[in-house]
Amino acid sequence: MAQPRLDAFQVIADPSRRQMLLLLSKDSLTINSLAENFDMSRPAVSKHIKILYGAGFIAIQDIGRERHCTLKQDGFNALHEWLNYFDQFWTAKLKNLENLLNNKLPN
Amino acid sequence: MAARIKHQLFFQHPPQAVWEYLTNAELMALWLMKSDFQPVVGHEFTFRSNPVPSFDWDGIIYCEVMEIVPFKKLSYSWRLGPGDGTINVDSMVKWELQPNDNGTELLLDHGDFAILKHMGIFDAMNAGWLQNMHKILNRLNEVNHGTTKA
Repeated sequence: MAQPRLDAFQVIADPSRRQMLLLLSKDSLTINSLAENFDMSRPAVSKHIKILYGAGFIAIQDIGRERHCTLKQDGFNALHEWLNYFDQFWTAKLKNLENLLNNKLPN
Repeated sequence: MAARIKHQLFFQHPPQAVWEYLTNAELMALWLMKSDFQPVVGHEFTFRSNPVPSFDWDGIIYCEVMEIVPFKKLSYSWRLGPGDGTINVDSMVKWELQPNDNGTELLLDHGDFAILKHMGIFDAMNAGWLQNMHKILNRLNEVNHGTTKA
């Protein structure tokens, strides 16, 4: 069995993390000010931020004593575009298969 | 946005006939891609497509057969990279065949995507990304909250 790991889809499947991304899409925020929007422990917020950071959704910059989170587009673009790419890929390939099976094989 | 790619097709043929086209490398080449596929769990193989340099993709898909249940189920890993031995995208392709009265329902589920490294093309596609993101997030939220129209 493959070890469980959070892929880009799992990252945005979580409502709290989506909320964090929405907040950060309006403005960059410190981890503390981000945490104020959520009814959860600070370690829990940190865990979500770590996941968002690891998947390339946000950047973290230390300014003075504060850690600032900024949205990064990379994570979104990558999953969005690959999904589109392979969806079109399979649509075309399965069309081939349909033609092949329907034309060449007797029913 | 769906978290996975799903397709469903119906064929007026028994599962055995459809299965052949999913597991015989010569037949697969006719509609999918050239490969050295063998229907053996653990077998590592590649699909050969055309390189897409703008995607940082050498056109090769590196796979390993994960599950085989003859005439019913087939799954393999689906990995790609720029051709230097590294992998940028890791995912899983699953096929399922369901017999019914007149033929076979074929289900494709391509998911478990892990984007391991960002590719050049995506960094270049900055325009409109924020709008897209809002669309994605809003749609996900709609799905999660269901249809709560008053």
